[in-house]
Order: sequence, then C-alpha cells, then structure tokens
Amino acid sequence: MSPPDGRRVRIAIRDLSKTFAEGARAVPAVSGVSLDVHDQEFVALVGPSGCGKSTILNMIGALVAPSSGDILVDGERVAGAPPRGVGYVFQKDTVFPWRTVERNIALGLEYRGVPPAERAALVRTAIALAGLEGFEDAFPATLSGGMRQRVALMRSLVVDPAILLMDEPFGALDTHTKLHLHAELLRLWEAKHQTVVFVTHDLSEAITLADRVVVMTRRPGRIKLVYDVKLPRPRDVIELREHPEYLREYAEIWHALGAELHDPVR
Amino acid sequence: MKRRDWSVIAWRLAILVVALAAWEWLTGIKAVSRTPGLYWIDPFFISRPSLIVERFLHLASGNVRLSIWQMALSTVQSTVWGFLVGISTGFVAGLVLGRNERLARVFEPYIIAFNSLPRIALVPLITMIFGFGLLAKIVLAWTIVFFIVFFNTFQGARSVDADLIASARFLGASERQIMRTVVIPSALAWTFASLTPSISFALIGVVVGEFIGGESGGGLGYLIIQSLGTLNAADMMVALIALGLIGIVMALGIRQVEARLLRWRPEYRR
Repeated sequence: MSPPDGRRVRIAIRDLSKTFAEGARAVPAVSGVSLDVHDQEFVALVGPSGCGKSTILNMIGALVAPSSGDILVDGERVAGAPPRGVGYVFQKDTVFPWRTVERNIALGLEYRGVPPAERAALVRTAIALAGLEGFEDAFPATLSGGMRQRVALMRSLVVDPAILLMDEPFGALDTHTKLHLHAELLRLWEAKHQTVVFVTHDLSEAITLADRVVVMTRRPGRIKLVYDVKLPRPRDVIELREHPEYLREYAEIWHALGAELHDPVR
Repeated sequence: MKRRDWSVIAWRLAILVVALAAWEWLTGIKAVSRTPGLYWIDPFFISRPSLIVERFLHLASGNVRLSIWQMALSTVQSTVWGFLVGISTGFVAGLVLGRNERLARVFEPYIIAFNSLPRIALVPLITMIFGFGLLAKIVLAWTIVFFIVFFNTFQGARSVDADLIASARFLGASERQIMRTVVIPSALAWTFASLTPSISFALIGVVVGEFIGGESGGGLGYLIIQSLGTLNAADMMVALIALGLIGIVMALGIRQVEARLLRWRPEYRR
C-alpha cells in the first residue's frame, strides 16, 4: 500500500476482524484487514455484497465493535462513541422526516451550539452548493430520493468534518441521478479535500470517485487488492468514461473482482 | 368546492331531513306502535323531534335548576381535563419506559394487569375516594386516556430508527439532544395517532362517571340517568344529541391539531 506523497495517516486499520453470532453459529464477516487511509485521500472499498465492507465502515464509525484488531482515527483508538470530526452518510434515508430541508441541514450546527445567525448563513451556503434553493421549507416526504440524499450529504458536510464515511450513499438511486451526485460530490470534495472512505459495490462509481480502490474478497472479507487510480483530477464524470485509463483500470479491477464473484465457494 | 362535494352535502342533508320527517310522522300515528314488533315507534320510547326541540328550549332557558349549558360545560370541562392530564402523563410514562428496557420489564405485569381491568369497575371506588364532583370524573377519564397514550408512545419510543439516532450522534448530538430531536419527534407521531380515540374514551369515562356522580357532578350523563328515573325519553334525546355534537366538535379539533403537527407526513399534505 503506497502512502501517497508521505501524507499523514488519518485512519489506521490494524489486523481488523469481526465475527457475528448468528444464533449458535459464528459467522466471520471481516478477517485480518489492515489499511491506512491518508489525509485528504479518497478511498473506495469495493467487493461483492456481504463481503463486510460496510461492517468495516461501521467499525471505523464505532457503530459496530471489532472482534479483534484496532482502528485508530487521528492516532486515537476508536471505542464506543463516534470519533470526533467524522461525518457519516448512510445508504438508508436518514433525513429527519419531521424537519424541513433547511432544518435538517442545520442539525449538526444546532447540536454544536452554533449561534442562529451564523447557522442560517452556513445553511444558506450549503443549500446553494447543493442546488436545493427553493426547497428550504420542503419536508423530505415531498422530495425525490436523490434530493433527500443530497440533503443528507449537505447535513454531514455543513459541520465541516475532516473525515467522511460513506456507506453506499447513492446505492438506492437510478443511474442518471447517481451520475449527477457523483459530479456534485467531486465538486464539493475538490473544495475541501476531506478524507473519504466510500463503500460501494459499483466499480465504476469507485473508479470515478476514488484515489485508491480497495478490492475485498468474498465473506469473510479480506483485502484482495489495493489499486491506485491514476486518473487526473478534477474529473468529469461523463468524459471520464471515455478515458483510456478509466477503461484500462476498470478492466483490470474487474478481473480481480470477477474472480471473487465467480470463485467456487470455499 | 367542487360539484361533487356539493352533491355529497346535498345527499347528507336529504338523509337527515327524511329521517327526521319519518320520525316525526311515524311517532304521530297511534296505529304504528300497535303493530306487533313496532311497539317502540312510540314517543314514549323514542320521543319525537318536535318534543325534543321543546324540551331543549326548556332546558336551555333560565327556568331550570341545572340548564343544558351548565351540564354540557361540566361534561366538556371534565373531558378536556381528563384528556390533557391523561395525554401528558401517558406520554411521559411511555417515553421513559420506552427508552428504558429494564424499567419496562419491571413494570410490565402491573401495567398489563391494570389495563385489563374494565375501567367501569373502578367507578364506585373512584367516587368513594374523590367524591361526587368534577374531580372523580376527571380521574376516571384519566385512567382510560393514560393507557391509550402510554401504549402508543411506548411503542413509538421503542421503534425509533437506530440509524436516525446514529446519524444524530455523528452530527455531534448529546444524549439529551438525541432525546429532543430524534426520540420525542418520532414517538410523537405515534402519540398523535392515539389522540382521536383518547378524546372519545375520555368522553365515555366522563359520562359513566356522571351516571353515578349525581347532581353535584352535573353533566349530561346526569341528565340521562335522571331522565331514566322519570322515564323522559325527550330529555334523554336532548342529552344524547348534545353529547354527539360535543364528540364531533372535539374530534374535529383534534384532527386540526394533528394535521398541523404532523404536516411533514405525506398523508396530511394538502
């Protein structure tokens, strides 16, 4: 695993394993995963469904406790509570249905006791950035899935997290909406260069967004391959698809991933 | 309003007019009540609209000891108090037990035991303790409303989406902030669903209390029981119609409040 130009390690994963108890049976989900995520790096975790990639993300966010191994975020061991400065975007719709768009985005600022005037200004900027103008007072039930996920994304970003954990945030959206949100995420990311761990089962999504693609094996999930994406930035999500490097990398990772999908069950 | 709405209203009015006319007309024909099986179509049993209006005007005038207005006010007052006390205590109890697994397990058998008790069986005891006044009726309504709201809120507090709580945590929420911004709003949606049945049951509790409560408790329930004593169907009808109207007004009021507070739900959007 090549540390890109010697940046400091923000997330250090050391020999991480997780075994779930399913009745009397012990089901290993993640086994012996070690990975360093560097400052400002965009890492995508890809793998077949059930390979434990979301479990890894949940362990980084302290939503699930590891069975063995360690996770350090900015040098501090993750235990119990979500590490500071970490944002999380779920695949599931976690926008609060009883709050308007504006008040959803303001949530984190409210929790942190940001004064109302400053809060309103930050929220307004976020709404403009996400192209949600005119929907400030709309309740989530009136929005499309893509817009709701946009609200969830802005809600996480408005508190300016240094690290962003994203668990298939666009997994439930149609291809068209997904591409739009890829472009938007990249645009927002270019501005702040948060450290991102992005879980997906969509390889093209991983290559489009990430600096490094971590390919997982089937359950129990181990790291099969770490792939450096050499596509230049800033990226255009549409033009990228025609880029020879994109096609080459896609094919290469696909072969590694494909072997994982088609291997006989061990 | 659309044409369709008008036709619905017209139909409703037509049914009312026909029913009232038939009632007035049939109870005026002696031969009808002598027909086997139709003895009850007699003003003695079901009164007559004209008679009811007459009795209403009498009861509404100042010439009676307890006017219909005073009785209605007493009933409404006790119902509203029982309802308010019931929902607030039921909500708090549901929230506390809903978020505390251990406490919920400790109290479970007592709650189930008390809730299975037919509430009407408590009326004499409550009357013994709280006397014949307003308070006994309020307590009775409270014992009913409390459990309806409690069980709903309890369910709501338990079924709060864990991912919503997790995302609040990631946004930096303290436990108290999670309570205020996640648990209470999602439990409230369940609580509101129990408000309409609660107001009806509060009214039931109050009227039953008034059956026993006597004159000092007043209320429309008292008028009904008194009319039974004097075999006065017209007075009974006046009380029933008044109760029906009170019930409708209260239910509509609750609906308004509900639609306002739950306006984020798609089913309440206009």
